[in-house]
Order: sequence, then C-alpha cells, then structure tokens
Amino acid sequence: MASPPAARSGPSPLVPLGYLTCAAVAFVAAAMGIGWLAPDLAGHYYHPRLLALTHTVTLGWITLAIMGASYQLVPIVLGRPVWSERLARWQLGILTVAVVGMVAHFYLGTWPGLAAAAGLLAVGIGLHLLNVGLGLRGFTQWTFTARMVMLGYGGLALTTLFGLTLATNRVRPFLPGELFPTLHAHVHLALLGWMTPMILGVAARVYPMFLLAPVPGRWASRLQLWGLGLGLPAVVLGLVGVPGLLVPGALAAATAAMGHAWWVLEVARGRKRPGLDWGLRFSLTATVFLLPAVVLGVALAADLLSGPRVALAYAVVALGGWVSLTIVGMMLKIVPFLVWYRAFGPRAGRERVPTLADLSWPRLEGTAYVFLTAGVALLAVALLVGDVAAIRAAAAVLTLGALAFALVIVRILGHLSPRFQKTPAALVA
Amino acid sequence: MAHACGCQHGGAGEAPMAPGLAAVPESHRVHLDVREGLRRGEEPFARIMTAVKALAPDHVLVLRAPFEPVPLYEVLGKRGFAHWTERHAPDDWSVCFYREAGRRTVLDVRALEPPQPMVRVLEAVERLGPGDELEVRHERRPVFLYPQLDERGFVHETDEPEPGLVRIRIRRRRV
Repeated sequence: MASPPAARSGPSPLVPLGYLTCAAVAFVAAAMGIGWLAPDLAGHYYHPRLLALTHTVTLGWITLAIMGASYQLVPIVLGRPVWSERLARWQLGILTVAVVGMVAHFYLGTWPGLAAAAGLLAVGIGLHLLNVGLGLRGFTQWTFTARMVMLGYGGLALTTLFGLTLATNRVRPFLPGELFPTLHAHVHLALLGWMTPMILGVAARVYPMFLLAPVPGRWASRLQLWGLGLGLPAVVLGLVGVPGLLVPGALAAATAAMGHAWWVLEVARGRKRPGLDWGLRFSLTATVFLLPAVVLGVALAADLLSGPRVALAYAVVALGGWVSLTIVGMMLKIVPFLVWYRAFGPRAGRERVPTLADLSWPRLEGTAYVFLTAGVALLAVALLVGDVAAIRAAAAVLTLGALAFALVIVRILGHLSPRFQKTPAALVA
Repeated sequence: MAHACGCQHGGAGEAPMAPGLAAVPESHRVHLDVREGLRRGEEPFARIMTAVKALAPDHVLVLRAPFEPVPLYEVLGKRGFAHWTERHAPDDWSVCFYREAGRRTVLDVRALEPPQPMVRVLEAVERLGPGDELEVRHERRPVFLYPQLDERGFVHETDEPEPGLVRIRIRRRRV
C-alpha cells in the first residue's frame, strides 16, 4: 500500500554546502596551526593554544562537517525532511561566530569570553538538535542507522552541556574532583558519544550504497550498537568517578570499533564496484586508523601506557586518522553530488550532463590522499617521539594534503558559477 | 443505458467514455456512495482519499455524489487519475476515476551509484507518453528525485512492498 511521502522534497544543496565549506576552511587552518604550534605540541596537551587547535578540529572541522553532511544525508538515510532550512542557515552563522570566538578566546586564554562563546555555541547546537528533532517527529523506523544517529545527537547534547560546564568552571570554579579526568571525559563524550555513532550510523547506509555491496550480517551491527551503548557511559563514568568501569568501558568501545572495522572490510570485499575512487579510498583507509586508535585507547585506559605524548598520538590517530579521513572521503562524495544536483540536476534526462568525476580533479584528490594519510601517520609518530622538527615536518606534509583537498573542493564548488553551468557539453566532451 | 463502469450514459456526460474504461469488469470497480453521508453533514474527502490510496492500478473508483465534485478532478488529476462524469439527476452524479491505460515500463536502478539512478529515471520519464507509467525499483526513497519530478510535471507514488525495495510509480500529470 502506498505510504505517505516522508521526504518528498530534497534539501537545498546550498545549506549543506555552506557547512561543508566552513568545515574545509577550519581543516586547512587546523593543519597550518599544527606546524605553528609544534613547540607546544612537543610538551603537554593542556595548554590554551593547543585547546584552541583541538577545538578548531573538533568543532570547526568535524562538527560543522557532520552537521552539514547530516542536512543532506539525514533525509536520505532516515527518509525525513529537514524541518527548516532557514533555521539551518541561521544556525550556521551562529555556530561560525561561536567557534571562531571559542578558538580565539582559548588561544588568548581569556575565560569569560570563552564562556560567552561556549554559550553561543550551545545555542547553535541546540537549534540544530531542534531542527533535526522536529523533522523526526513521529519517526518509527528504528534501524541501526536511526539508533546510531539518535545516540549521536544525544552525545552531542551531553558533550555541549559538559563543555559549557567546564567553560563556566574556568570563570567561577565549582566542579569537585581533579581537572584531567573531567577533561578526558569531555573528550571521550565527544569522540564516542557524538562523532563515532554518527560515522557508524551513516556508514551503515552510505558505504554499501557507494560500494554497490550487500549489507553484511546483522551481528556486526549489534556488536557496534551494544559495544558503543555500553562502552560510552562506562568510559565517561569511569573517568569522572567510578574508576572500575574505565577498562571494561574501553574494551566495550574497542569491540564496537573492531566490529565496525570488520563490517567495513566485509562491505569492501563484497562490492560490485570494480574500481575505487579517491573518496572511497579515503574512507576505507580511515578505517585502518581505528586499529592504532583502539590499541592506544585501551592501553591508556588500562595504564599500560601513559603520558601526554601517547595521549596526543592517540588523539591524532582517532580524530585525525579515523574521523577526519572518513569525513574527507565522504566530502569527496557529497560535495560533487550536491554541486551536480544544483548545477546539472534540472538538465539531467534532457541533455547530456557531466558525471561527478567530471566536476572534480582526481589527480589532486590522489595528491591529497597521499599527503593526508602520510601526514597523519607521521604526525602520530612525531608526537610520540616529541621532536619539534619532526612535528613541523609532519605538519608540512599534512598542510600540503589539506591544501590539495581544499583546492579540489574549490574546483568542485566553481561549477556552481553560471559560467560553468552554461557549458556542460565542454565538461562531458 | 448501463455502462461497464456502472455509470449511466447521457445527461451531462457528453464526452464519450474511454474504451479502456468501458472494458473494466465489475470486479475491478470500487463503488463509493457519499450521498447519504453528505446529507448527514459528514465530510467525505477523507473517505474518498482512503479509497483512492487503496485502489489497485487497474481498478476504477466509481463515486456517487449529490453534486458534480469538480474540485476532486484537479486533486485526483494530480495523482494521475482521469475521470468520466455522468449526471443521473440534478442531485445525483456518478464519476468514474481511473488511470488511463498506457505503456508500463519497469526500471531497476538498485545496482547503480548516485547520481546514476536519478539520471536514468529522468531520461526514462522524458520518454513517457500520456497515460504511460514508469515503475522505478530503488533501494531507498529518492528524496532528491521527487522535486525534479514535481517541477517537470510528473505525478508519483512511492511504496515499500518489501524490505530493500522501494517502488516509485511515475506518470505525466494530466493537464
């Protein structure tokens, strides 16, 4: 029986493109910032300038990219429309100002300003959650992806509240206990509660779609869901006050991560797509970084390894290797599609239109792949060693990769220009 | 004179009945009489739309009403329905709503990477004639395709008959 259309109108491509463009700018800024802050990175990570760098990555790059992608992907993977595109545009403005404000105040070490910017960030994130939540009213199809996306939004809300509390505590201290476990809890709430479920959930739908592969058995999905569902609260509680939960929580989260890695491997093995484009190579390579991230994370939780250098290397392989390379790969799929849809969708079926590859710059995508993957690996090793020159060298490689990626994005976005839209024939020739 | 669709010829029904409509057997006709309900002051629109949604592609809805339901022509026309009207008396009308018989094409885009499914579908719909239907077999609801179909004057219905199969039926909108 015909069901009512859940998402009859696709989102405007310009909304997600706005978010993704801002995210790409933050990515390049963060890559450049690593070289700039190399002496600080060779020391302890709890330094205002390094917190500025961290939030450029986590908020400016990762969070804006996930939010932008969600404005395209949530209607596809959950079959529900965006409640308000106007609100999404306002929200981008608020978030951009808030992230710039937070990064600047972290860098300068001015805490009242930081707290104000964090409050503004909470408003922007609250509007995003409201926008998505209103779009999902009455939603009943609780697939693996839907559960993961909901877990992710719950994690985002808690991470934001946690961060706001930490910012307020800097101005007027009131939190009991030690600073570092609380800080680590905030980091892991973001990593395991926000970024991980969003990646796992969206990957479950889009990897088989892009790789033209059958979906592997359900047990791997259950492993990811239960591992993360149990691991996240156990890790956070283990860090803030119940130490006995930390190692079991880390092992549960590690099980989820390895379940995801196995699932990706099965999808890649079962693919009908003969060749891999650079976007898919990025995403598949990103999964490889899960292994060192899991090893270092569990070792840190179990006190088998310790110290700021290991912690920084762990952050680089997790946030820079797995999360960031996955996002780069997805952006190399999403951005060309959105631009194609905007520029050539109305002509499709009536005249010959370019393919997604025609809009991009595959050779430069390959350059970005080599430099970014090598840069992340080199940076992790350089941080473990703690050598400033090695960190600078790795940062230079990473920056070249980020710039190559940004150039690819600029080239793709250029097709939104009316000059290109008038000449699709030239692109397909 | 009684016709196969159950409507009486004559009165306001000057237009000849479509040959396909005349050949529809009784078992494929769904009768809905809203005269009594309207007399009691009930709103019939929801009942009509429920009947339309449940209507099989080769079935005809025979609506009996106390007036000519002109607004319905546009509403159901946007869903790909043609109509044939018969006036029995000033307060007794029959309208047959039916899908015009045409060529039916099936297009399976499940093994294609985006945006190829959209390109293939938009190429195929441009070849649809009046009354033709394109049945697209997809693995998800194509949310970016729907606005393109709407803008190009096509009507579409989506259902999910089994897990992993989304079926979209597309026709040209009747003018």
